[in-house]
Amino acid sequence: MHIDWFVFFSQIVNFLILLFLLKKFLYGRIIRAIDARKAKIGALFAEAEQSRQDARTAAEDCERKRQDLEERYEQSLNEARKEAETYRERLMEKAREEVDYLKVRWTEALRAERNNFLHELRQLAGRQIYAATRRVLKDLADLNLEERIVEVLLARIASMDENELSKFRGPDREGATITVTCAFDIPPATQARLNDTLHRYLSGDMDVAYVRSDDILSGCELRSDGHKISWSMKDYLDTIEERFNSALYEEAQERT
Amino acid sequence: MEVVAINQISPDQVILFSWWFVTISATLAYTWLVMGVLVIGSILITGNLSSNPTMTRWQSVLEVLVETIRSEIRDVVKDGVDTYFPFIGTLFLFILFSNVFTFIPGYVAPTSSLTTTAALAILVFFAVPFYGISKQGILEYLKEYFRPTFIFFPFHVMGELSRTLALAVRLFGNLMSHEKVIAILLAVTPLFFPVVMQVLGLLIGIIQAYIFAVLTIVYIASATQSHEEAEHKPREPNSTNH
Repeated sequence: MHIDWFVFFSQIVNFLILLFLLKKFLYGRIIRAIDARKAKIGALFAEAEQSRQDARTAAEDCERKRQDLEERYEQSLNEARKEAETYRERLMEKAREEVDYLKVRWTEALRAERNNFLHELRQLAGRQIYAATRRVLKDLADLNLEERIVEVLLARIASMDENELSKFRGPDREGATITVTCAFDIPPATQARLNDTLHRYLSGDMDVAYVRSDDILSGCELRSDGHKISWSMKDYLDTIEERFNSALYEEAQERT
Repeated sequence: MEVVAINQISPDQVILFSWWFVTISATLAYTWLVMGVLVIGSILITGNLSSNPTMTRWQSVLEVLVETIRSEIRDVVKDGVDTYFPFIGTLFLFILFSNVFTFIPGYVAPTSSLTTTAALAILVFFAVPFYGISKQGILEYLKEYFRPTFIFFPFHVMGELSRTLALAVRLFGNLMSHEKVIAILLAVTPLFFPVVMQVLGLLIGIIQAYIFAVLTIVYIASATQSHEEAEHKPREPNSTNH
């Protein structure tokens, strides 16, 4: 093997020159660039990590807010439900009260109507019965109903014992007035008989006053010092009204 | 320029210019070619380096190369990577490009000259004590030659010389033999086989560059770390107790 010493030393020098040049133009620059990139990437990573951290914090914050909102929403919903329930109950109560009130009013109106009806019925029935009875008595027995009523009263006075008579007379025997109230006009002859009977059984100096009133249904009454003797169709009419009332009630019950 | 003939064992014998003791052989010319390519290429590529995450392809290639070399050094020496990197890197790049350019017709690798490989081996021979002394100091470095006893001094010296010789002859032998094999094959079977051998030659060239560089790292590491390791080894069991 031959070694050319000039080439040998030249190669050493060449290598050292190459080492110097590469160090100057390659290694230093490239290593600086790599280090700078590493630093940049490190900074980017750090920034990314920071951003990730921020994002995580923000996400946690959002999640917490969402949960808060959800809880608040549930709470509001429950409150709204409770309020709605309360309001509904209040409305129901109010409606119930209104219904009760209307029912009461309606019942009252119905009762008033019924009473009116019964009153009118009573009046009408009284008049019709009176007229019918008067005609029947006249046709069958040739009797006058008014006279028969007065006769009944006279008979009742005549049948009264002393105790009842004294009560009827009252404490002031002198100057007392007996009021005869009838639904019809008493003929003068009948009036005279009535006067005689009253003076005979009660007191001779008592005044007798005659009053015509439609309030007494087809009857007649004697009133003195708070005591009264009367005959009227009231009892009959009461019976009719009672039965009619019962019939109405039964009819209403069947319909409901 | 003449193509290296079969009887010419080295490009040193292809003399391009000669004046007194100055002889410009093919070895020197191709060495300058490789140097020029490396330096001009470096200047061109590193002229507009980017430190952004996006970069040019050439810069990327260069960075990968540089980082690979640094990583190899880092695997052997634990610290001071950038101290040894220029020397190791230049050795590797020079040998690599010298060997790889053999695909150029008419080119003869300077590393197929014993003169070049010997020059590189001598550089390593001096670089090892240089880095060893600069790291440990001259006394500590010289003490290594007398470990474990002074009797080992001649063996250490012989080891240094023989490994330097081995470095030079290994690289030269591989490259030279390869070129000769290709030359013979061209004469015997001019088709196909020389192409395969050329490809194989590229692989061998790359491997030889790697071997040369790695051995250099190992030698430097042995010179700079042997003493530290000797000191640290007894401490290891204690350190595990903590």
